[in-house]
Amino acid sequence: MTNAARLRQVWTIARLQLTRVFFSKRSFWVYLLAFFPAVIFFAHGVEVKFKRDRYTSRVTPSSVLDAIRAGDSEGDVLRQAPGPVSDERYRPRRRRRGPDAEQQRTPDRRFLAYWDGSKRWELNFEDGILQTKRARPLNDFEEDRQVYAGVFQYFYLRLAIFFGCLGIFMNLFRGEMLDKTLHFWFLIPARREVLLAGKYLAGLIAAVVIFGSGAALSFALMLWPQDPTALQTFWATDGLSHVFWYSAAAALACVGYGSVFLASGLLLRNPIIPAVTILFWESINGILPAMLQKLSVLYYVEALCPVPPPMDSNAPLLIRLLAAPAEPPTAAFAVLGLLALTALVLFVASRAVRNIEVNYGVE
Amino acid sequence: MSTPNSPIGPAAATPMSTAATAPEVLFDDVSKFYGEVLGVNRVTLRIPPGITSLVGPNGSGKTTLMNLMAGLIHPDRGVITMRGLSPRHPERLMRILGYATQYDSAPRGSTGLDFVTTGLILTGFSSAEASTRAQAALHRVRMAEASRRKVASYSKGMRQRIRLAQAIAHDPDILVLDEPLNGLDPLVRAETIALFREYAALGRHVILSSHVLQEVDIISDQVILIANGMIIAEGQIRSVREEIHQHPSQFVIRCRDASRIASLLFEHDHITQIKMQDDRLGLLVMTRNRADFSRALTRISLAGHTVESIVPADENMGALYEYLIGGDR
Ligand SMILES: Nc1ncnc2c1ncn2[C@@H]1O[C@H](COP(=O)(O)OP(=O)(O)O)[C@@H](O)[C@H]1O
Ligand SMILES: [Mg+2]
Repeated sequence: MTNAARLRQVWTIARLQLTRVFFSKRSFWVYLLAFFPAVIFFAHGVEVKFKRDRYTSRVTPSSVLDAIRAGDSEGDVLRQAPGPVSDERYRPRRRRRGPDAEQQRTPDRRFLAYWDGSKRWELNFEDGILQTKRARPLNDFEEDRQVYAGVFQYFYLRLAIFFGCLGIFMNLFRGEMLDKTLHFWFLIPARREVLLAGKYLAGLIAAVVIFGSGAALSFALMLWPQDPTALQTFWATDGLSHVFWYSAAAALACVGYGSVFLASGLLLRNPIIPAVTILFWESINGILPAMLQKLSVLYYVEALCPVPPPMDSNAPLLIRLLAAPAEPPTAAFAVLGLLALTALVLFVASRAVRNIEVNYGVE
Repeated sequence: MSTPNSPIGPAAATPMSTAATAPEVLFDDVSKFYGEVLGVNRVTLRIPPGITSLVGPNGSGKTTLMNLMAGLIHPDRGVITMRGLSPRHPERLMRILGYATQYDSAPRGSTGLDFVTTGLILTGFSSAEASTRAQAALHRVRMAEASRRKVASYSKGMRQRIRLAQAIAHDPDILVLDEPLNGLDPLVRAETIALFREYAALGRHVILSSHVLQEVDIISDQVILIANGMIIAEGQIRSVREEIHQHPSQFVIRCRDASRIASLLFEHDHITQIKMQDDRLGLLVMTRNRADFSRALTRISLAGHTVESIVPADENMGALYEYLIGGDR
């Protein structure tokens, strides 16, 4: 049999396996995982859009707002600008009357917000006197992108793709063993390695499509409510490169985790053990010696993410280390390193697949 | 684990030439354990083309032998050669081997036609040819009409036939069928047997299993009896039958004048061996014919010799042979 014919076989196997992977009842939850953040970004987008619609009926010219100064009284401000979009008042309750009640008293606070057509102005009063004034866009694009970066790294890479690949790839062989259908695959005239490759390819296509579209949809929904001019700038500068690197990181995470879980599905019967072990290994990765760090999928794919996720600089050192490696590799090194790691794992899997036996338990 | 290559290295490398000279299925000292549980033990077999039946009670190791032939499991020791090919090389072996397993499962939601066609596409046929061949195979097992229904809705016999259709669809030289007659009604059974004969007449291997000897004895060119993971008889049905009948049974006789009874028993041809027990009050007797033996003992006690008890020394084996021969003695 020629190698070209074997490659065709890989594709035939993958094609037939695909329906199973996409429509398996056992991995339905994978879709929920993949599309959960999209729901949140959608809700956020709707909220922003909704606010903007509500505000357009109460525009206060920015010249009026510019004229307001700290030290102005509530009454003055409301006379000059009578149409705030929101007005919130906090009156602390006085619990106790006593000699020092006056000293402990917290001031009455009032927050007024105005809309000048593009920015939201927030006015902060204490005891009726304006203390601070600042103008902010309704929606902070910068902040939203950081939120997305956090969702991508902490949710997608560490959680959704991890467990999704666990579900998809461990089931490729184990699921067929449970369904008592594995022997059909072993009875076709194909090398076991070819079968492995076909199944891996099917799992990979499914994982990349499911998680790729989940992450892409979330990204699109994050961009949706942004200011059109800000978006234009984004696309003209970083936009495409961000999309590319996020996609690359998601796809490579599927490549890496896929191979790891395919191999553990072949070597071990119980999925919990490798799941816990690998999750533990990946999470302590940041504090491992440099050499061992390289044996981790996260180490490489996190290095590819274009925006660092938000991290409180006051967080304890340990947490910071766990969240990000001290010396992230360069992009090229990360891609090559991940592919090399995958090749190594797939090699181990191809050894294992030759020796697996159909064992459905005693009939 | 044995090496993936059979020791007949050149045979594996040039399957065609070997297959032409020695198209046999060979087991050389094959053992398979499931952890602690014995599957089959030290099996050596040489199966020529034709219809061969593996017969043994449930749990005797029939499925184990068949799974070993198809490479679904691997021997812990020994070597298997299927018409010159190792089960370790599915890419080559599965072109000439069709296996209808005893596993009653089909991929979820597929129709009978899908099921057989998919197998053929995976075997490497174009979808047009796969569909033609699938239809021919389904027709052959009289499943053409039901082929558009879901496998899940099939009766036991229909599933049996759909598996048979899948096994024959690529026209293999070796057909391995695990209890293929189970659940078939008499008409379909006769047709299925006709199909086996047709295959065998072409110089192919048809290896099937059954737990009832009568079910397969007249259709088989050779029979292999298996029990507790060991081959206990093999060959043409007549010689196997004789072998069973002649299998010596052992009995322990407790009696007062043991030496006198021993000399009386020795006059009979069917007695092959007698051992005096240490206390000189018992004999271990081996006979080739239980019926004659019991008649002889009756005569001895009628002649005034006291026989206190007769206990079969190998009741399990006796029962097994009894079972295998069935009621048609
Ligand atoms: N997967 C398995 N795990 C453990 N024991 C098994 C397994 N399959 C078969 N056995 C044991 O091996 C022996 C032979 O079984 P099998 O080959 O299925 O017999 P048969 O097909 O003749 O009924 C039985 O004792 C059975 O319990
Ligand atoms: Mg069986």
